[in-house]
Amino acid sequence: MVAKCQVISLCRSLLRAGCKYPDYNIREYTKRRTLDGFRMNKNLTDPSKVNDAYAEGKEQLEVVERVLKVYLAYPPKTKNIMELKV
Amino acid sequence: MASKAIFSTLRRSLTKPNRAVSRRHHLSTSSAATASEPYAGDEHAIVMKGVRISGRPLYLDMQSTTPLDPRVFDAMNASSIYDYGNPHSRTHLYGWEAENAVEVARIQVAKLIGASPKEIVFLSGATEANNTVVKGVMHFYKDKKRHVITTQTEHKCVLDSCRHLQQEGFEVTYLPVRTDGLVDLEMLREAIRPDTGLVSVMAVNNEIGVVQPMEEIGRICKEHKVPFHTDAAQAIGKIPVDVEKWNVSFMSMSGHKIYGPKGIGAMYVRRRPRVRLEPLMNGGGQERGLRSGTLATQQVVGFGVACELAMKEMEYDEKWIKRLQERLLNGVREKLDGVVVNGSLESRYAGNLNLSFAYVEGESLLMGLKEVAVSSGSACTSASLEPSYVLRALGVDEDMAHTSIRFGIGRFTTEEEIDKAVELTVKQVEKLREMSPLYEMVKEGIDIKNIQWSQH
Repeated sequence: MVAKCQVISLCRSLLRAGCKYPDYNIREYTKRRTLDGFRMNKNLTDPSKVNDAYAEGKEQLEVVERVLKVYLAYPPKTKNIMELKV
Repeated sequence: MASKAIFSTLRRSLTKPNRAVSRRHHLSTSSAATASEPYAGDEHAIVMKGVRISGRPLYLDMQSTTPLDPRVFDAMNASSIYDYGNPHSRTHLYGWEAENAVEVARIQVAKLIGASPKEIVFLSGATEANNTVVKGVMHFYKDKKRHVITTQTEHKCVLDSCRHLQQEGFEVTYLPVRTDGLVDLEMLREAIRPDTGLVSVMAVNNEIGVVQPMEEIGRICKEHKVPFHTDAAQAIGKIPVDVEKWNVSFMSMSGHKIYGPKGIGAMYVRRRPRVRLEPLMNGGGQERGLRSGTLATQQVVGFGVACELAMKEMEYDEKWIKRLQERLLNGVREKLDGVVVNGSLESRYAGNLNLSFAYVEGESLLMGLKEVAVSSGSACTSASLEPSYVLRALGVDEDMAHTSIRFGIGRFTTEEEIDKAVELTVKQVEKLREMSPLYEMVKEGIDIKNIQWSQH
């Protein structure tokens, strides 16, 4: 069964990768979806389910990091209105 | 020579217009709406088509198209690099791998709608699917069936295909809708004749967002044994779709409305009881002979992944979008009066909110809302000056139809964006109403409809 510190470290890596996206909407969505995803599975006790959820999270982390590299390779030329006036 | 140069420069400097003169009171409503943006001289400003905006607008137009989800993008990238073989080549590994990828996508699409993978045909989009079904079914049964039933609020491609059929000699009944946008089931029952070949009703309207009573319509069609076609491009992945419960024989689906790629769609064609269809694209007999042509493997893979994601995230997205819709509607209603929601509020998909603002001119409102990417009427009809035919079918007055704005909320919309959209809309509407003499009269209590306008 996956340890609590591993789950927390996975959540932190997902949030950290999500913060680097240049696109405002994708960034906010990644952060919100990660937190909600971890919150929804907070009360799981069955070890196999916990391991499944952890494996799924790890897969999503790989996807996020891979796609981030492509998004950073083509930086946007203009800023989003939401990022200008806060 | 020198004096000529001196005099010309003198003339130029004397006749140069004085920038300090304020020209605001000479501007018409629409230009006044846009002229208030301060020339901050910031480097992020975008100038396009004569409009200056300070940054990329916030995207609230999810009904015309959606951004690509990063997970779909990831799957499409891998597929573009490796699955370049022709899925219809049977002789080598490249063809087999591409075919596998297409079959996996087919299963993903079929699971979303509750169908069998053998009933899914991939094509270039919902427009092609609508055309294929409407024209193909009627051409196949042209000896016995000469009548088509559809509604007045269908998508332009269905209405245009029906008009094409009318020119060929078929008869088409365009059912009117009630003021809340829903089809009247009694009228549908009366309109069905023994030679009706097809009933086409879209599941979720792209302009007003109402959800039609699909199960009841399916039951009526089953009773009378008429094939039922639905354009579900806006419905899949957003409301639960089940071809068995709805009793549909044909369904059109589109990839770019569910965070997938553009240029791909699918058609569901029922196998039990079997319905026949004449293909629009003839050729090598791919896709059960219904749509020949090589499939774009990476588009198909992207569509499949988008459908799978939509199935997993449907509940989560629905809760989020419902919350944002309430926030938007309450935010606007708190600060403004005379806001009308077009279409039924109960039987509606939450992500589509079509509002009309009374006593405001539509063009000026849209021109002033340049920092929010919204649409008025659908993208297909916005090129013409007429108000949208869907709103006209609902019985909305001309002036209210002109001021309608469609806010599209999606998976990636945030609360801050909604708050900002509310703020910008309210500010713009208040500014236009302040300038409007009609609104002054209404505030004084005069009823506009009973005024006798005199001729000058």
